[in-house]
Amino acid sequence: MKFLCIDCDTAMKFKDVTRPEQGSVTAVFECPDCFTEIAMFLNPSETQMLKSLDLKLGGNNEAAQPMQMVRSQLETGKQDLMSDISSETGIGEKAEGGKCPFTSVISDAFEETAEPAEPEGLKWTPEALERLERIPSFVRPMAKMGIESFAKENGHAEITAEVMDAARGNFPAQF
Amino acid sequence: MKSYKELPDDAGSNIVGQVTAQANRISKRLTSVQRTVAIMSGKGGVGKSAVTANLATALTLAGQNVGVVDADINGPTIAKMMGVRNATLEYAATGVKPATTKLGTKIISMDLLLTEDDAPVLWNAHSQKDAFTWRSTMEVSALREFIGDTDWGELDYLLLDLPPGTDRLPNVVELIPNLGGVIVVTIPSEVSHLIVKKSVTMARDILKVPIIGVVENMAFYVCKHCGEHEPLFSVEDTPNNAFQLTTLGKIPFDPKLSRCNDNGTPYLNEYPDTPASKTIREIAQKVQDFFQT
Ligand SMILES: Nc1ncnc2c1ncn2[C@@H]1O[C@H](COP(=O)(O)OP(=O)(O)OP(=O)(O)O)[C@@H](O)[C@H]1O
Ligand SMILES: [Mg+2]
Ligand SMILES: [Zn+2]
Repeated sequence: MKFLCIDCDTAMKFKDVTRPEQGSVTAVFECPDCFTEIAMFLNPSETQMLKSLDLKLGGNNEAAQPMQMVRSQLETGKQDLMSDISSETGIGEKAEGGKCPFTSVISDAFEETAEPAEPEGLKWTPEALERLERIPSFVRPMAKMGIESFAKENGHAEITAEVMDAARGNFPAQF
Repeated sequence: MKSYKELPDDAGSNIVGQVTAQANRISKRLTSVQRTVAIMSGKGGVGKSAVTANLATALTLAGQNVGVVDADINGPTIAKMMGVRNATLEYAATGVKPATTKLGTKIISMDLLLTEDDAPVLWNAHSQKDAFTWRSTMEVSALREFIGDTDWGELDYLLLDLPPGTDRLPNVVELIPNLGGVIVVTIPSEVSHLIVKKSVTMARDILKVPIIGVVENMAFYVCKHCGEHEPLFSVEDTPNNAFQLTTLGKIPFDPKLSRCNDNGTPYLNEYPDTPASKTIREIAQKVQDFFQT
């Protein structure tokens, strides 16, 4: 899959990808010359196919965790499956690719040149993530950013249901 | 306008790199595994898992380091048969520590990851409606992780208990390009023989994987009263003649064996002197001979 900006005759670069919404993922590509952006929508089947292959749009920067696909995708799995899946050390080699680590299956940002890594994205507990999913999709990105900056300001390393409760006062969306 | 070939990469996803990294994970892991053996059958319920479990035990008792991958993602039985169903897996940076039987055989199975109750394998998805389009991909990824992400240590043998049917072997060969060999399990009935032929064609002719031999399971039962061998099924001869395959052994039907499988106790240890135990040990010896020569 490659994209070309016809006007500039320049290869477009991966810019961003959303978390699955209604099973569907949106990836944004940008022309490095004229900054035109295009959005690519993956339908739920295509999204699922990427998940099942354990591939990440925008490259995979994190070293692989042991059995990360099974452990993150098994609905009927034991409670402890996810226990240390985001620990620092991984077993696999890194595939060269994006930079922003993201615990979801599809990573969320990419730039080709290896720049100094941004501070770690905040970790969400499964419970918190579930609540996040309940926020109407159009306000979710804002709510997520809001909760994350609230958490950072208040020194939380991880976003739990409690942190969400505490953050709730700060903005109108109900979750 | 530039063409596909002229663009430098896939806009940064580096899918090829990701796939290569996955393949490297598995081949790196397999450098400490001497021999890989897949146990298959065309038909279900002929005793693949029972043969795998007992062969693993026999090889272990013969002093070999043995690991077993339960490649039957949806119908895992190996953990129960080998008595490790209650084991808890440990996730370490070097890989997942497999369950270990009392005798020291190492086991990885979907059963060890599922919730205690008899939960089916259900994958996270927006909708299960079109699951048929991606489910088997999930299963292959799971198998890849079972083989490649388990901390096996040094193994002499890694056995793979496949689900019924011939369709999974190509996936296994994709994951393990230098698969050591295949054991085909059958029962003495014409339907089973017919499908053995399909398995052999798939393994030997299409995938070019060596066939170690055929195990004929539930070949007969030994009459308790007179010691005579009584046939259980209709057909006397094995399908090997036409295919020039080695018969590794004919395992009799023994209710004690199925009881041991159900209890998760090693039959070979409990009943070392039964005809079935002797045959299983002979099979294990022939497997070792196969790799010696
Ligand atoms: N030689 C034997 N004597 C007695 N019982 C046996 C023998 N071989 C297998 N069994 C029993 O037969 C049943 C089916 O065997 P098993 O589960 O090993 O078959 P399978 O080929 O792995 O099945 P599936 O295709 O579903 O994976 C089990 O209960 C097992 O304990
Ligand atoms: Mg089986
Ligand atoms: Zn442009």
